Amino acid sequence: MIRFENVGMRYGMGPEVLRDVSFHLAPGSFHFLTGPSGAGKTSLLKLMFLAQRPSRGLITMFGRDIATLPRDELPTMRRRIGVVFQEFRLLDHLTTYENVALPLKIQGRNEDSYRADVHELLHWVGLGERMKARPPTLSGGEKQRAAIARAVVAQPDLLLADEPTGNVDPEMGQRLLRLFVELNRLGTSILIATHDHALVSSAGLPELVLQNGGLIVRG
Amino acid sequence: MAKQKPVKPARPDLAPPPEKRGLGALLASLLVETRSVMPAAGATGLSLVLVIAAMCFLASLTLGAALSVGHAARSWTSELAGALTVEIKPSRDMDSETQLDAVMTVLSKTPGIITARPLDREDIRALLEPWLGQGKVSDDLPLPTLVAISVDMANPPDIAGLSLEIAAAAPGALLDTHRQWQAQLLRSARTAEGFGYGVLAIVAATTIAIVTFATRAGLSANHEVVEVLHLIGARDRFIAAEVQRHFLHLGLRGGLIGLALSVLAFMGAGYSGETDSLFLVPVWGLRVEIYPWLLSVPIAASLVAVLTARITVFRTLEQML
Repeated sequence: MIRFENVGMRYGMGPEVLRDVSFHLAPGSFHFLTGPSGAGKTSLLKLMFLAQRPSRGLITMFGRDIATLPRDELPTMRRRIGVVFQEFRLLDHLTTYENVALPLKIQGRNEDSYRADVHELLHWVGLGERMKARPPTLSGGEKQRAAIARAVVAQPDLLLADEPTGNVDPEMGQRLLRLFVELNRLGTSILIATHDHALVSSAGLPELVLQNGGLIVRG
Repeated sequence: MAKQKPVKPARPDLAPPPEKRGLGALLASLLVETRSVMPAAGATGLSLVLVIAAMCFLASLTLGAALSVGHAARSWTSELAGALTVEIKPSRDMDSETQLDAVMTVLSKTPGIITARPLDREDIRALLEPWLGQGKVSDDLPLPTLVAISVDMANPPDIAGLSLEIAAAAPGALLDTHRQWQAQLLRSARTAEGFGYGVLAIVAATTIAIVTFATRAGLSANHEVVEVLHLIGARDRFIAAEVQRHFLHLGLRGGLIGLALSVLAFMGAGYSGETDSLFLVPVWGLRVEIYPWLLSVPIAASLVAVLTARITVFRTLEQML
């Protein structure tokens, strides 16, 4: 489903942050992405959620070479990918409900068709009582759960999460992991970038390890 | 890929209650809330509305003044152009009544003349009084006879031919076309009108520049929103439409506030009771037919804001993958 072949990436004229990265994520797979800070985890995720182009190499997503994909087809592809950003990137002026419903709204769907689903999902992640709250009034953990809810609400084929358990206690971390496992069971491929070794070892799932810009697959 | 969502019973009854707002928040939301996914009552939204309101106020005042000057200049010159005078000096060859009859006969036969009215002695005395003083015009002073003529401007008579005919009909009769006055007045009126439109052009250009910069500033404050919408799969068209709607509403609100203030200013000047004019602009207010023209100011300001937002947002999106 996602294939990277000898992908390199640099910002402007700077040094390569990713070098000869090659891997393949099969449909329905679940991987962790680990590595020390600065190893290029976020850069790799940016390539995968189509925020950056690689400097070299080949990236194939859902069977399409992204280098030759016309620009007006990118939104359709992005809608198949749910992203939990490291810094959440919730829109402060919208309520939690509106933030979570945003991926459905931009698809042009009528609010009546998704209101109940969004309410359900918000209850599921424990934000049922915080629907009308705006992000500045949410705790770190609540923001994180809202960001996760926004990433999964449109039932993406691929979920990318950058440190999704970084701001929650271990109990909530485990609960979110169960949410991801459940999503994965329903067919969504998942890649979670994390520093949380306990989470990775408790899950017992394969790991993509980034080190010095290179990548190895473990497990 | 089989897809189901984590299921729990739907609870639409849990729709959050409407947010309670104070009067201040309500006013602010009326000013800047646009029902777009763009931020509503942000500081940039409010300041953009205020900037557009201030510039539209100035632009409406200038437009009103320029249109008034133009209107005044045109009506003076057309009034003057529509009037002629025949001056009949006393002559030894013909008595004054015969002179007048001869002139009136010529005038009555000439097409394009609406009325021709001989001024009586009292009228002429009144015309001379400002120069000679009241009661200084004695009865035995030989006064010329004057005939006031109003001309059909749509079908004017042949002035040169009429002048020759009048001179031939009565010795001492002379057609005065006011050409010298008319030329001078027309020149001043045109200068004033040009000056008014020049000031209007400067204010309009300044308004466009300021609205453009304010819109760009407002949009750069919302860069994060545009980027997040882009990354979660919104099409450029959707983002541009949201941004345009947002700035159209802000622009219209600012523009209408500015327009309302300028109308109040014109009407306030009307109620102040002054009947003088300030550089050709009657300060008792605008003529009624000019008010609709002022509507063009908020419309133009909104269009500028919308176009700027559209161009800027497409440029921003093009820089993104």
